[in-house]
Amino acid sequence: MNDVMIEASNVSKTFDDVTALDGVDVRVPRGTVLGLLGHNGAGKTTLVNVLTTMLPPTSGTAKVAGFDVLRQGHEVRGRIGLTGQFAAVDEQLSGTDNLILIARLLGAGRREARVRAGELMDLFGLSDAAKRLAKTYSGGMRRRLDLAASLVGRPDVIFLDEPTTGLDPESRAGMWGIVEELIGDGTTVLLTTQYLEEADRLADAITVLSAGRVVASGTAAELKAQVGTRAVHVTLARPHDAPAAISSLERHGLHPVHDEPRAAVSTPVNASADIAVVVRAMDDVGVEVAELAFTEPSLDDVYLTLAKSKPAA
Amino acid sequence: MTTAIVEPTLTRQPWRGTGIGRQIVILTGRSLRALISDPKLVIFSVLQPLIMLLLFSQVFSSIAQTASFPAGVTYINYLMPAILITTGVGASLQSGIGLVTDMKNGVLARLRSLPLDSSSVLVARGLSDLIRTAIQLVILLTAAVVLFDFSPTGGLTGVLFAFLLALAVSWSLSWVFIAVGTWLRNAESMQSLGFLAMFPLMFASSAFVPLDGMPGWLRVIATVNPLTYAVDASRNLALAMPVGSGVVAALALAAGLTVVGIVTAVRGFKRPL
Repeated sequence: MNDVMIEASNVSKTFDDVTALDGVDVRVPRGTVLGLLGHNGAGKTTLVNVLTTMLPPTSGTAKVAGFDVLRQGHEVRGRIGLTGQFAAVDEQLSGTDNLILIARLLGAGRREARVRAGELMDLFGLSDAAKRLAKTYSGGMRRRLDLAASLVGRPDVIFLDEPTTGLDPESRAGMWGIVEELIGDGTTVLLTTQYLEEADRLADAITVLSAGRVVASGTAAELKAQVGTRAVHVTLARPHDAPAAISSLERHGLHPVHDEPRAAVSTPVNASADIAVVVRAMDDVGVEVAELAFTEPSLDDVYLTLAKSKPAA
Repeated sequence: MTTAIVEPTLTRQPWRGTGIGRQIVILTGRSLRALISDPKLVIFSVLQPLIMLLLFSQVFSSIAQTASFPAGVTYINYLMPAILITTGVGASLQSGIGLVTDMKNGVLARLRSLPLDSSSVLVARGLSDLIRTAIQLVILLTAAVVLFDFSPTGGLTGVLFAFLLALAVSWSLSWVFIAVGTWLRNAESMQSLGFLAMFPLMFASSAFVPLDGMPGWLRVIATVNPLTYAVDASRNLALAMPVGSGVVAALALAAGLTVVGIVTAVRGFKRPL
């Protein structure tokens, strides 16, 4: 058994004079989810296309499920599922027939194909529309059908290229649920997204791509630790207590700032244990606290700091 | 739900792909299903040649009285074998357009992500269009016999050979248009290109009037027009006239186009979408 299911080494891709990927390294262990985060044009889709054998890399090597994407494309395609940004479904066929077609092309017998298609239509909540032509489906239904299509062959590795882009919040939540169940099954997933919330929620590790280069990678927590700091926000019951609160916090060795419009005082802290220090500092001077909040830096901060920064060479 | 996604339901073996023969059969069936679910496609494709048959048989019928027209042949018997060919040629354009449409709506993107042989998608396209064209021509022939008194001297055998020749021509040109489609990848351009190529070819040929009745310059073009070979061959077969080398020339041309078309199409198809 191979334990690294996706491995890209120094992959570059140039279109005419545009460099879409510039020496990208990616490693995804079996059964984990890599979130590929980046703006439009960062190179996310190009990387997915290289890894799924749709595009040959200009240089570098990549292996998926242990097979080389250039020399063993057929083997790779037999082990992956791909869901792109645009639903790739046959509009002239019913939802079920779309899935049966793929199952049959993958080598399933008629009966097996029908059973598998029915199973997936159920799972994706499409049973009611099973016999309708796919062209009558809504955007969200097409996406689900497309995702179902990529799962027909029970792939080892699934590529989800912006699976929720353009979906309404309800469909997005539904898609997340489905992806979480896939992850629970031990499937290896590479997910591209522009939504930080999505990567934070679904991915074990995150790679931030900017202008075709990897600018950061690690777990969500590691990335957050790289940028921004933790902070405690104290909302005061009586706004005029602010000077007293600030001086008390300073006496406890903290560096508070006054957030006047919100009648609050906030201070960077190193550990969650510092929350107790803040509470004591308020108590010392008899300041009444309306609300106390401990905030971690968001992935937004990571994204804004890293994706827009100059790529680390 | 957990078990259903990963655990095979009936087999323990994952599916990794199937042989090229089965791929072609399955994909051909897929294209043909569109004809069943949307029979308008066939009806409209038959309607156009039927209207041509109706118009031309009325407008040009007096040509049958002229000296350059073969003696003892009615205009409908002269026209219909040519309509078989021109319909086959028109249908071949649809192959290219069908392929480009699949590219646009994402079907091809899905197929390319599967472990398929790249030629099977193309061969299936060609085959399904051949079957569709055959259905079209049979409907057209039936209509010609029932509605327009088409009764060529070559009888059923002659018509059958003319029909097969039309299919061969259509098949070979399908490959040309599939090849063009894999490189051009745009349905609108395909449509305009096809129209531009087809219209002059159709009229500057022996399809509707004998070459002898044409002005000199047009006769020169019509003589070198490959469609003239095919039309003459089809007509000679249907009317039980001496066939000569025309059929051989038409078939040789069709075979040549098929080979060039397939090679070009497979190369074009491998280019990234």
